[in-house]
Amino acid sequence: MTSIGTGYDLSNSVFSPDGRNFQVEYAVKAVENGGTAIGIRCKDGVVLAVEKIITSKLLKPGSNKRIATVDRHVGIVSAGLVPDGRHFVSRARDEASSWRGVYKGPIPISALSNRLGSYVQAYTLYSSVRPFGVTAIVGGWDSEAELAVDGQVGSGPKSGSGGKVEGAKTGGPGLYMIEPSGLYWGYYGAATGKGRQAAKAELEKLDLSSGTLSLVDGVKEAARIIYVAHEDSKDKEFELEMTWISSLDGPTKGRHEEVPKDLLEEAERAAKRALEGEDEEEDATKGNSNETERMEE
Amino acid sequence: MFRNNYDNDAVTFSPQGRIFQVEYAQEAVKQGSVVVGLVNKTHAVLVGLKRNAEELSSYQKKIIEVDSHMGIAIAGLASDARVLSNFMKQQSLSSRMTYGRPLPVDRIVSQIGDRAQTNTQQYGKRPYGVGLLVAGVDESGPHLFEFQPSGMTQEMLACAIGARSQMARTYLERNLDKLESSSRDELITHGLRALKETLSQDKELTVDNTSVGVVGVAGEAGRGKIESFKLYEGQLLVPLLEALEAAEAGETKEEETMEVDS
Amino acid sequence: MNHFPEAWGRPRDDVYGAYNPLYLQTTGPKAHTQSPAVTGTSVVAVKFNGGVAIAADNLASYGSLARFTDVKRLRKFGESAIVGFSGDVSDMQYIDRLLESIDIRENYSTNGNTLNAKNLHTYLSKVLYKRRSEFNPLWNHILVAGFDEDKKPFLSSADLLGTTFSAPHLATGFGAHLAIPILRRLFPEETPLESISKDEAVAALRECIKVLWYRDARSLDKYSLAVVTEAGIEIQEDQQVEAQSWAFAEAIKGYGAQVN
Repeated sequence: MTSIGTGYDLSNSVFSPDGRNFQVEYAVKAVENGGTAIGIRCKDGVVLAVEKIITSKLLKPGSNKRIATVDRHVGIVSAGLVPDGRHFVSRARDEASSWRGVYKGPIPISALSNRLGSYVQAYTLYSSVRPFGVTAIVGGWDSEAELAVDGQVGSGPKSGSGGKVEGAKTGGPGLYMIEPSGLYWGYYGAATGKGRQAAKAELEKLDLSSGTLSLVDGVKEAARIIYVAHEDSKDKEFELEMTWISSLDGPTKGRHEEVPKDLLEEAERAAKRALEGEDEEEDATKGNSNETERMEE
Repeated sequence: MFRNNYDNDAVTFSPQGRIFQVEYAQEAVKQGSVVVGLVNKTHAVLVGLKRNAEELSSYQKKIIEVDSHMGIAIAGLASDARVLSNFMKQQSLSSRMTYGRPLPVDRIVSQIGDRAQTNTQQYGKRPYGVGLLVAGVDESGPHLFEFQPSGMTQEMLACAIGARSQMARTYLERNLDKLESSSRDELITHGLRALKETLSQDKELTVDNTSVGVVGVAGEAGRGKIESFKLYEGQLLVPLLEALEAAEAGETKEEETMEVDS
Repeated sequence: MNHFPEAWGRPRDDVYGAYNPLYLQTTGPKAHTQSPAVTGTSVVAVKFNGGVAIAADNLASYGSLARFTDVKRLRKFGESAIVGFSGDVSDMQYIDRLLESIDIRENYSTNGNTLNAKNLHTYLSKVLYKRRSEFNPLWNHILVAGFDEDKKPFLSSADLLGTTFSAPHLATGFGAHLAIPILRRLFPEETPLESISKDEAVAALRECIKVLWYRDARSLDKYSLAVVTEAGIEIQEDQQVEAQSWAFAEAIKGYGAQVN
């Protein structure tokens, strides 16, 4: 960053002579120091996961959730300034609720991301505000079933105009990532925060675009990827938090929920095993394999 | 002299992605006198050291009751704390009015967190210059939260903020595993001991400079029965300070006998 | 003939007489909120040992016309509360959306602090009272069934004026006249809750719904029945009044075509 100190980086909404908005770039720096957050779009749902660095022994374990529920079917995880993340989530909740007010139905993930993108972008336009110090991953499930007639007050016509189409299916998983500039893309697998490079490399190996990875496998991969991404800051302890949203006939019935404790623990065990396995492979190449230890696991 | 250009307001990021005005506000918390908070399975306790401006003046209040199920301890700008506590009182009352339900602790904490965040993202505002410890009970039991000027809120098992609070935190960390299973009275004593750790040589905890707040669940948890927030100040503190002395005496005696044994 | 534009499309004065503009009243108090349009009739509910049972038929009437026959007037809230609505159906739909948004908000965090039926009743009565004080009432009489903070069965009502009332058994609309006497006979005053079983409560409600179907012209023989217990909510929305016998109808005299 050659132009630092030339004065074009002291105020938001100001372009430098080479066309950059430095304050937005600095906001990205705040994101890059945050705990790794990822999202995986599976064939029958979406997984969100985050690495929470334990900054103090006095923190209550298992609380201080970092993945927020926005509407029944949407979750958001973010990396960067935690209070900014809460502001972002609060806006998302307002958008989801106002959509329900207008359309009497759940907001599609694409529409929510679009609105949030616009909101974040507005914080790059004025010198009276600063950009968001977060990159947020929005994950959710757009219902594949038709909407109930005004919250199931009646059952609606059985056929004909306004009636039902047998077996018709729409909807599906949605995953978007919104950056401090307001830019957002849809993703098969998204990663942000400190360990994003390692996480992205792992995500790319999964062949997510083929749409074959199941949700339960996605949970296990997500746990493993967070563990892999943590390797670079190994000296710090961390807690893994994961949530998921499945299809209507899946385990969460289209809702955004915490991954159940037993599955989370299983995924963590598998993640640790996979990491140790890697280490052992390295050891093995040095001609130092340790068969008995492996069997004990 | 080096001049930091990025610290004039709360709406400018430094090239490292830091917001200096917010970090400076955290310093204001460290100027305040120390407060300690801790929880066990049934109770949440706040303990604070009160300061007086001069010998003849009164002491600054450190612990404020928000509602019968919740209280806060403050470190930093007391007037900012009053704004926040008034807001908390209103929200708490409104929940009781609208739903007939005491407001869950985590919810009121996120509300003040969100308020504080707004002050760090808009020009013309300044971050709050106060840190809070929020202690309360709700359906899911006792809770302790830390609130910072950045808008960061975290649920803690024990915490201390304010001047020389590191000593108290060290004590709490060292005794963390004892806290959970301790009784109500033991928890208070632990709080007072943590507070005492922060005192400089020539100072002591007295009925004038100490403040204790206790709230808890009564009997079976989740049945809506609580031990309402109670503030111990002045003569009410006598038994608590006596218990503190007794606990310390007991410990030194224990150490002595151990020495004899060896 | 009058060719001025304000008369275009209006009935001719010389044929129909002067148009009475009072019909198109533009000043004076707002009147369209002062009466319900599409309505549901009674809701009945009984507390029993370990829970509450509640029932309502599936009809929405438009005046005397049986307009909709598949309307669900028992609405679930969370895992342990039911709200039964009588009165205006569009106002019910509005309140239902309020409840849905509260439910979504309540589930933002998973810390186990959920609104119980008693909290819900407090909230709804405030909403109803606020609206009646604005002279724009929500035209409903509701029953809320579930549990209070001590996990004891809870049943209470709130009406369009914001009036609240609580009793071991309650009924709204025609049910207040036709079902309450039956329930009082079955479960006399001072009957301890512990002595009323779930089956007895459900049987009593079915009996009430049957009598209401016989005697309330705005009722239906298809109904919904919900039971709230500690285990959760069982809701059946396709119940049918069984073993009907209209033999008694012949003996009824004093109104209708046959006056004597």
